[in-house]
Amino acid sequence: MQSFRLNGSRVLEVELRGDAVRAASGAMIAYTGDVAFKSAGMGGGDGIRAAIKRRATGESVSLMRCSGKGTVWFAKDAMEIVVIDLAGDTLKVESEQLLVVSDSLRTDVAFAGLRGASSGQGLFTTTVTGSGPLALLSAGGPPIALEVSPQYPLVVDPQAFVASRGQLNQTFVTDVSWRNLVGEGSGEAFSLRFDGTGVVYIQPEER
Amino acid sequence: MTLPSTPFNPATLPDNDNVPGNHYAYCRRLDGQLFMQTGRMIAYYPAPGSSGIRFEPLSSATITGFVAERFSAPLYTRDWVVATGSGHLLLGDRGYDINSYTLEEGNLTLRAANLLAFDSTLELKQSIVPGFLTLIGTGTFLASSSGPVIFAEPPIRVDPQALVGWADCPSPSHHFDARWMTGFLGVAGGMLGVVSGEERQFDFTGAGTVLLQSSEHAVDDPHLLKQLESQVGTLAVPGLTRLQSVIQSRLSAEQRR
Amino acid sequence: MAFEQINHKVVSTAVAPGREVLARRGAMLAYTGDVGFSPVHTGPGGIGGLAGRAVAGEHVSMMVAQGSGTVYYGFAGLYVTIIELDGSAPLSVEADRLVAHDAALQSTVVFLGEGGGLRGMVRGAVSGQGLFTTQLHGVGSVAVMSHGGTIALPVRSGEPTTVDPQAYVGHVGNVEAKVSLNASWRDAVGRGSGEAVQLKMSGSGTVYVQASEQKIR
Repeated sequence: MQSFRLNGSRVLEVELRGDAVRAASGAMIAYTGDVAFKSAGMGGGDGIRAAIKRRATGESVSLMRCSGKGTVWFAKDAMEIVVIDLAGDTLKVESEQLLVVSDSLRTDVAFAGLRGASSGQGLFTTTVTGSGPLALLSAGGPPIALEVSPQYPLVVDPQAFVASRGQLNQTFVTDVSWRNLVGEGSGEAFSLRFDGTGVVYIQPEER
Repeated sequence: MTLPSTPFNPATLPDNDNVPGNHYAYCRRLDGQLFMQTGRMIAYYPAPGSSGIRFEPLSSATITGFVAERFSAPLYTRDWVVATGSGHLLLGDRGYDINSYTLEEGNLTLRAANLLAFDSTLELKQSIVPGFLTLIGTGTFLASSSGPVIFAEPPIRVDPQALVGWADCPSPSHHFDARWMTGFLGVAGGMLGVVSGEERQFDFTGAGTVLLQSSEHAVDDPHLLKQLESQVGTLAVPGLTRLQSVIQSRLSAEQRR
Repeated sequence: MAFEQINHKVVSTAVAPGREVLARRGAMLAYTGDVGFSPVHTGPGGIGGLAGRAVAGEHVSMMVAQGSGTVYYGFAGLYVTIIELDGSAPLSVEADRLVAHDAALQSTVVFLGEGGGLRGMVRGAVSGQGLFTTQLHGVGSVAVMSHGGTIALPVRSGEPTTVDPQAYVGHVGNVEAKVSLNASWRDAVGRGSGEAVQLKMSGSGTVYVQASEQKIR
């Protein structure tokens, strides 16, 4: 297993021993040793199908592959970083919240639901699957993990959503009440409602 | 999957406190009505078995006259809603630190952008200082600051950008640094319409508490703009001409950056 | 005189006759006591060396705090880190990132890409800001600002540390900083040639970087 280590709460330190990671383009802030950086394209190294799907949906994740021997430090916009170890399961994540994924993990695009019942416009998120570590970004402070269960449905501001896992039913709710709350000229006019069983990660700052 | 922390749910979230380990998010247990600034809520759990939470504009007919009367800051009306119902509300504000404060038969004046929510038992008025709001009465409110808020006692002079608010002491007056204003560069600066904290401060005297933060990013405050606009009407031609030249040199200074 | 860290975004310091403080214009947040502020231009040629400073591309005017009292410093909600200098080696820091320092410290301006023939390119490449740094010599405190705080990375001899110029804050010790180009990185980042410029730090000492690619405005 690769070692993802935090240096403070906003810098990720990755030790490369001849292996590789994929990281958000431009997120490398320093390195030592012999490390090569190569564009992994919009598809995140998952082949053309994923790339085409991304272009069609607007959900894009521009990644670079970092390989070699040495230490690389990653950070982005002074956001807080959380490291999650996947063990064969799937995480749905907002693509711009992805900092680094282990090369052993697969990234893809998944249908996330319809944006409002009337518009019929589809929404998509990035999924990360496999076994290995990944680092997520959270703006404005540490991410908050919130449990969803049949007893506790959750409503989230789409701009604060970071990631989710579990058996969740995700719906985009457009109502007058939420629009009042969002205010004029800013933010999304719909809220994200989660039912089922799982965990939702949110950040304290709206994108 | 290994998780960094146990997820929270309504049974484990604090009723009225910061989310544990997070100065930047606050959990407010709602049971009734709360004034909230728009765009500051990041998530909520409706209480089990309840009809959920409604967010209504202050102009809404369903908000009782009593509640609407608590809010007398016409410039800000459109930025606020009343939340009604029961559940847990999670608030966040640009990554600012969030704190809860309790007023008892008191008054406190705050930078409008830093006030997130307040009990409907409190009364809100527009301060005489542009961009600030005054809370009066008894109740709790939530306010944010860029970094932890610093409490200081007068006498103190403060860069207006670093001021979060003040309580119990008289409203501040302006202080101009004499050396700066009379110096060559000060005169040049004045002509260019450049104002930084070093040449002009808010001067606090008397007994009370002043709340400070690191200065803000330069953001456009639409209300300050409205307030300035409303005062342009009181100027005659010489004043307007002067204002025009100040704005022009300010604009070209910004474009040179 | 030491600076005191009030919180991660604010520092305070005492000012007294003979113990003046130089600070970036706009960094003064509040003060108590009888303190006055006036602009100075430091740099080659000392105080008043305005021309030298302008030529060198250093355009940030500093304010001197004089009198007696306590001054609070911070800037635009950015994180502030205190670095103590023991006099053994100068601190190199981008002028834009200086919040405040003891007026007793001597400052000079250096250009990092010097001698490499890269000057013109670098100036254009790194968002027009150039890679000029201010060097502070002597014993005293320096407060520097960053997006989200700084982390200190070691520079060991024979093992250079390469830094993104956008994330570079400053360095101390017997360190040579060279601007270099990395073609593989340009390919990876794919945002024009500007991003391909890197700072290669060799020797032994410490380099300070921030957790962001955002420069100070």
